[in-house]
Amino acid sequence: MTAIAAKPASGASLNPVASGIGIVVLIILIGIMYAIGGQIALIALIGIIVGGLLIAFGVHFVPVGGAPAAMGQAPGIATGVAMLAAGAGLAGLFGGAWAWAVQTNPDLLVAVITGGVGGGLMMAITCFFVNFIYIFGMGIPAASGKVKVDPLTGDTQPEFKSQGTEGHGLPFISFVGGVIGGIFGGAGGTLIYLMLLNVYQEVLPKMTVFDKAGAAGVLPIAISLAGIFAVGMFLINAVLAAYNITGTIEGPHDPKFKRFPRALIASAIASGLCGVAALAIVFVPV
Amino acid sequence: MTVKIEVIQGGVPHNTILVKGLVASLVFIYLTYLNTLLPAGSPPYFAFFGGLAAVAALWWGSHTIKHLCSYGIGTGVPSAGMMSFGSGVIAMLLATQFGVGAPIVAVVLAAVIGAILGFVANNVLGMKIPVMIQSIIEMAIIGALVLMGLAALMTGGFTFQSLVTGASLPLAGILNVPNYMGSVIGGCLLAVAFMLGGIAIQHPFNACLGPNWTQDRMLILALECGFLSMLMAAIMSIGLIDTGAALISVIIAFLGWIYTYDLFFKLAKRDAAAWLDSKPIPEVEGH
Repeated sequence: MTAIAAKPASGASLNPVASGIGIVVLIILIGIMYAIGGQIALIALIGIIVGGLLIAFGVHFVPVGGAPAAMGQAPGIATGVAMLAAGAGLAGLFGGAWAWAVQTNPDLLVAVITGGVGGGLMMAITCFFVNFIYIFGMGIPAASGKVKVDPLTGDTQPEFKSQGTEGHGLPFISFVGGVIGGIFGGAGGTLIYLMLLNVYQEVLPKMTVFDKAGAAGVLPIAISLAGIFAVGMFLINAVLAAYNITGTIEGPHDPKFKRFPRALIASAIASGLCGVAALAIVFVPV
Repeated sequence: MTVKIEVIQGGVPHNTILVKGLVASLVFIYLTYLNTLLPAGSPPYFAFFGGLAAVAALWWGSHTIKHLCSYGIGTGVPSAGMMSFGSGVIAMLLATQFGVGAPIVAVVLAAVIGAILGFVANNVLGMKIPVMIQSIIEMAIIGALVLMGLAALMTGGFTFQSLVTGASLPLAGILNVPNYMGSVIGGCLLAVAFMLGGIAIQHPFNACLGPNWTQDRMLILALECGFLSMLMAAIMSIGLIDTGAALISVIIAFLGWIYTYDLFFKLAKRDAAAWLDSKPIPEVEGH
C-alpha cells in the first residue's frame, strides 16, 4: 500500500501559519496541564493526544459513502463518518473497558489491543453486511471509482463500474481499510478512556465531595466520567477527520487519504484541548 | 428562484434567535436555583425549569445548524450535532465545579473550546466556511447548556455535588448500593441526555431541509423535539428526585410536546401543498 507513505497533494496542502499557531497552542496546553496537575496529568494528557491521533488516522481508512452510497452511486458504507466512527469506537471502547476490568493485574497494552479488536470486529461485520445487501439486495457488483486495479488483489475495476456513478459497493481494499480503521479507532478510544480512568481513580477519592467514599465508592463516578469524556473526544476527533475528507472517502487507496497529516495536527490540538478540560475537572475544584 | 439557501430570506434573523435562545436558556437554568431557597428537605419543585432551558437551547441550536449546514459541509447534518455535544459535554462537566456560577462558566468555557475547534476546522483543515468559527462556538455553548439543563431537570441542581449525589431510594440502604452509583454521572444518565440532545438538535434541520424549508416549521419542530427529550429526561428524573417534583416536569413536558406537535402538524400541512421550481443541485467542491 503505497498510499500510506505518500506525501500530501498540492490541493490538500497544509496551512503552515495556522498549523504553527495550533502547535503553539498545543504546547501551551501541555504546559498548563503540567502546571496544575503534575506528572500524572501530563502522562495522561499525552496518552489522550495519542488516542486522538489514532482515531483521526483511523477515520481516513474507513470507507464512508454517505448519501450517494445509499443510492448505489458511490462506493462505501451508506452513512456518515460520525455514525460509523461512533459505532466502531464505542464497540472498541466497550471491549477495551471490559478487558481492563476483567484482568487481575490490568495491562494497558492488552486492554488497548482488545479495544482495537472490538472496533475492527464491528467494522468487519458492518462491511460484510453492507456488501451482502449491496450485492444480493441491490444487485450491484463492488467496484471502485478511484483506482483502475485493486491494490491488494489486482482485480480490475472499470468493467464493473456503472456509467454515471463513481463506483459502488465495497471493493476488497475498502473492506480491509474499514477493518484497519476500526482497529485504530477502537484502540484510540480505549486509550483515551483508560488514561482518564487512571487519573480519576487516583485523584477523585482525595476530593472534598467524596471525603467518605473511598476508592471503591467513587468507581462508578470515575468510570462514567471517563466514559462520557472519551465519547465526547471520540466524536470531536471523528468529525474533524470527517471535515478533512469532506465527508466521503473510499479507503486507503483514495487520493483524499493523502490529506491525513492535516487531520493529525488538527486532532492533536483538539485532543489536547479537550484532554486539559477533562483532566482539569479533578484538579480545579472550587 | 435559486436553490442556493446560504442566505436566510425573510423570517427571524439568526442573531435574534441567538440572543433569545441564550438568554432564555440561562434564565431558565438559574430558575432551578430556586430549589435551594425552598425550606430544607422539600422536594425540588423548580427542577422543570432545567428542561425548559434545554428546550430553549435546542430551539436556538436547530437554527445554528441550519446556518452552518446551508454551506454544504459535506459530512451530513448529524455530525454537526455530535460535534456540538462532544465539545459541550466537556465544557459543561468542567463548569459544574464552579458552584453557582456554573452556567456562566459553561458558556465561557464552551465558547473557548468552540473557538479553538472552529479555528482548527476552518484554518488547519482548510474548510474556509465564513460562519464556521461562530457556528462551532454557538454549538458548543448549546451542547453545554442543553446538558446542564437536562442535568438540572434530573437532579434539581447544576453543581458537581448534585450531579454525583445519588438518589435517596428506599432500597438503597437495604441493597447496600453505593450512594454515588444512583446519580446522573454515576448512573451515566448523562450519556442518555447526551444522545437525547444530540438527536434533538440535528433532527429539525435534517428533516426540514430542502427547497421547501420554512423557518417557522423547523423551529416548531425543534421545540417539539426538545419537549420530547425533556419528557424522557423527566421520566428518568423519577428515579432521582421526589416523585411529585418529577411529575410536574413530566406533565409540563407532555403538554408542551402535545401543543408543539399539533402546531408542527398544522405547519406541515400548510407547507405540503406548496411547490417550488428547484434547479438541479449545484456541484459542491470536493466530490
